[in-house]
Amino acid sequence: MTVANSMVSGPVTEAMLPRPFRVISHRFETPDTVTLELEPDDGADLSFAPGQFTMLYVFGVGEVPISISGDPHRPEILVHTVRSVGAVTAAIAGLGIGDRVGIRGPYGVGWPVGHAEGRDLVVVAGGIGLAPLRPVVYDVIARRDRFGAVSIVYGSRSPIDLMFQEELHSWRSRFDLQIEVTVDRSDESWFGDVGVVTGLLPRIPFDPERAVAMLCGPEIMMKVVANELETRGVAPENVYVSVERNMKCAIRFCGHCQFGSDFLCRDGPVLAYAQVSDRLRVPEL
Amino acid sequence: MNLRSIREKSELLTRLSNTELDLFESVSSKVQLADGEILFEEGGVADSFFTIVSGRIGLELTSPGRAPVSIQTLGPGELVGVSWFFDPYRWNWRARALGDTHLVAFDAVAIRQKCEVDRDLALEVLGVVAEEAVRRLHRTRIQLLDLYRSS
Repeated sequence: MTVANSMVSGPVTEAMLPRPFRVISHRFETPDTVTLELEPDDGADLSFAPGQFTMLYVFGVGEVPISISGDPHRPEILVHTVRSVGAVTAAIAGLGIGDRVGIRGPYGVGWPVGHAEGRDLVVVAGGIGLAPLRPVVYDVIARRDRFGAVSIVYGSRSPIDLMFQEELHSWRSRFDLQIEVTVDRSDESWFGDVGVVTGLLPRIPFDPERAVAMLCGPEIMMKVVANELETRGVAPENVYVSVERNMKCAIRFCGHCQFGSDFLCRDGPVLAYAQVSDRLRVPEL
Repeated sequence: MNLRSIREKSELLTRLSNTELDLFESVSSKVQLADGEILFEEGGVADSFFTIVSGRIGLELTSPGRAPVSIQTLGPGELVGVSWFFDPYRWNWRARALGDTHLVAFDAVAIRQKCEVDRDLALEVLGVVAEEAVRRLHRTRIQLLDLYRSS
């Protein structure tokens, strides 16, 4: 039948075919979050822009969208950081070295790193939201002279939930990055800051008229930070958020991720706050 | 203590007029704390308040049988102390330096007395203290949402 044939051989079907990748490294970042390094079976690099995501398929279990957390200057290794919160992500966390997964992508619009060149850059991450922003930091460090003041503000639930701790220490040791880290709840081992990420914004250096901000974390956090940045003079047009909701097909086909006039899988997940701030206040969306 | 040199970086001092700034300067003094030194203790008399010039102050909760737990940290430019403005003028938390910290201390008793006779000043100071209290309330509400929990 014509319809059936077009379904099995058309562009949509081809886009739904995953490439096999092999797990070459598995590391727990926190008790429920793992970072996997993956190598393609076919040897072809997977080039990506910071902020893009792939569809990661655990054979026989299911497929989920996961932001790439690796270095865009090392496309030969695909890196994903995944928190175990459901059946598929639990299966991902349980993968071992040598296991295979399917990968589609990369997909989506990433962070506007080019727009930030020549400007001050404010990166604000909450929880696992640091993972989609880590490629930005890699990229900025690789081309540090093209940016003004660069600050990274990271908030986490507690000290044990802090991800990428070795890298945070490494970045903090540089003289050309300002790193601020805070937790919502401290314990006796913690000597750092306690409180919400907005409390750290007064400490970081940026010229509000020439600053670009990139925010990733729970939507409430992003809204609060965006509002605080606006209070400090940063235009909402220069504040970018990652809105990650209901992505299923990743090719603007199924409609699950429609968010007003945008399909988050193709038009996002990174969007200007000015573009989505009203929509983020609509509970029904 | 020349407050004009740090005025722009202090949430408190930027709100004050030049006349008010002169008044605050007349009752101010420098405070320098080494890492771990206590600025004030929970339950102590709130007869001073502070603005941080550099370093950090941790507000801590102490309880028997366990080490103090930091509930909030304050950094450069921020106001340390709200209780000094409200009866019974007692600190609700312990404040401890997290690293070498420089502050400016203000005589809270003198400022309260001035506020008794100068209602414009009282309104200005109340505005600063209330704004800080509201900001901390907002932050605490966000913390209580436990946004980063697994879901």
